Amino acid sequence: MNIITIAWLTIPFFIGFVIYLLPKLDKYLALAVTFVSAGYALQLFLEKSPLKLNLLDNFGVQVVADQLGAYFILTNAIVTAAVIFYCWHSGKSAFFYSQMIILHGSINATFICVDFVSLYVALEVSGIAAFLLIAYPRTDRSLWVALRYLFVSNTAMLFYLVGAVLVYQKHNSFLFDGLKGAPPEALALIFLGLLLKGGIFVSGFWLPLTHSESETPVSALLSGIVIKASILPLLRCALVSDDIDTIVRIFGVATALMGVSYAIFEKDTKRMLAFSTIAQLGFILASPAVGGFYALAHGLVKSSLFLLAGSLPSRNFKELQSKAIDPTLWIALVIASLSISGFPLLAGFGSKVLTLKSVEPWQVIPMSIAAAGTAIAFAKFIFIPRGEKQEVKPGLWPAVILLISGLIIANVVYLDAYSIESIIKALGTIAIGWLIYVLIIKRLAIAVPRVPEQFDHLVGVMTLTLIVLFWMALATGTHT
Amino acid sequence: MKIVSMDVMSTGVIAYYVVIASLNGLFTPIMGEVKNRAFADPVPQGIILTAIVIGFSIQALMLVGVMKLARDNPTLETSEIEKNNTP
Repeated sequence: MNIITIAWLTIPFFIGFVIYLLPKLDKYLALAVTFVSAGYALQLFLEKSPLKLNLLDNFGVQVVADQLGAYFILTNAIVTAAVIFYCWHSGKSAFFYSQMIILHGSINATFICVDFVSLYVALEVSGIAAFLLIAYPRTDRSLWVALRYLFVSNTAMLFYLVGAVLVYQKHNSFLFDGLKGAPPEALALIFLGLLLKGGIFVSGFWLPLTHSESETPVSALLSGIVIKASILPLLRCALVSDDIDTIVRIFGVATALMGVSYAIFEKDTKRMLAFSTIAQLGFILASPAVGGFYALAHGLVKSSLFLLAGSLPSRNFKELQSKAIDPTLWIALVIASLSISGFPLLAGFGSKVLTLKSVEPWQVIPMSIAAAGTAIAFAKFIFIPRGEKQEVKPGLWPAVILLISGLIIANVVYLDAYSIESIIKALGTIAIGWLIYVLIIKRLAIAVPRVPEQFDHLVGVMTLTLIVLFWMALATGTHT
Repeated sequence: MKIVSMDVMSTGVIAYYVVIASLNGLFTPIMGEVKNRAFADPVPQGIILTAIVIGFSIQALMLVGVMKLARDNPTLETSEIEKNNTP
């Protein structure tokens, strides 16, 4: 298993460069890599104890592959495969696939590393690959969006590096466990880096523009997996000690509420999906121990929603109300929207029940509100009129079928969710959400200001978040 | 301008790593005749080397992007570029 792990880790990078040499085989090679990853993740589920691997001796790098990580790896594999299917006939160059596979590999690396420096390297590589993917069309807008993304994430990672060396100074090691006795400023700096990269709470305002202005397949990748590359480290840090766990939970709740309230009032399909990504990340963080399953469900559903939204005739919900869309497209949209709202028979239900069950008592009410808010936001997709057939991209259906069947199969992970009580609760939440949508939200026309998304404010908010984090770390007493 | 200031920031971080490494001593940790000198810690230095390379490549990548943008926005004011490129 040790050799398999190392081989699995290096294959994407190797193949990424081989694609350059054999540009004719690009799609097939890329697809093969995702199969390897999926197989590896399934293998991890079968292992009973987490796999620990120490490369070299004393100062060597440690990697840990466990079940929590396996969910993320599986998500990564399925989403990348679906995006490859989507791009199959689009005539993208070998460069695109090669970057995609390098991105896939670097994200895999973040899912198994347990020390701050390997994480830094993996996150930076994923940032660069994501930058190249966003900038692929080479229009002015895509370049600006990509530059903005790289600037914000690189600045965040600089803060993170300072935090990492403070941990090292204390413990002479970069392992995540070192956070336990680290000074509060170290915790604050590291968390600032991870929260910004992960688009959590107010530091996540860079996310809507980036995710909505990228090309459809790239948005699906970004929202489906890239964003989760820094979520899993946060979860792992949360499992280190109770104090950090509390901080992560607080951020989870705040993020869920903020994302949902923006998503409800959003008029643009892709921006709404981006805000809902922020909200769903909040759900993942709200209960760190079981976040893996939620991440799987969300990754599948969000990338399928982005791919579907890319095939709609318009991006504006108002125009969509007056235009009829293809019935089969509508059915796929409804299945995905239902899953994200937590409808039984789909993975979104099991994951939502599991999350709501393992939250702390004070979290229950805000999280239930956020769940209802999700239902309100996605009612917009469900109440779109159907009409005559229309042409869609040929790659869309294989991708969406793969993702949605993944959603249905993933149900087996948590079959205990199917109790009468939780089914009634889920249906009730959705019904309340739809009712509120039809009665109130549909008639409102509130334009939410986009001031916090301006470039200068992003950097300003970064510093403010740092101060807040510092006081939170001080208050919860992680330094003792 | 912002990219240059980001570079200054990363130089600061690198310097900080070097300072931390030299807290125990300044001598280069190379095997020699003299025993038990106050050696500098090699680990942060080794690690920051990776970060320097990454920072440098990101810098180069961003400057290429800015060069492309400069064709249509010769003044390179971020507020102007932002106004033109946000929906």
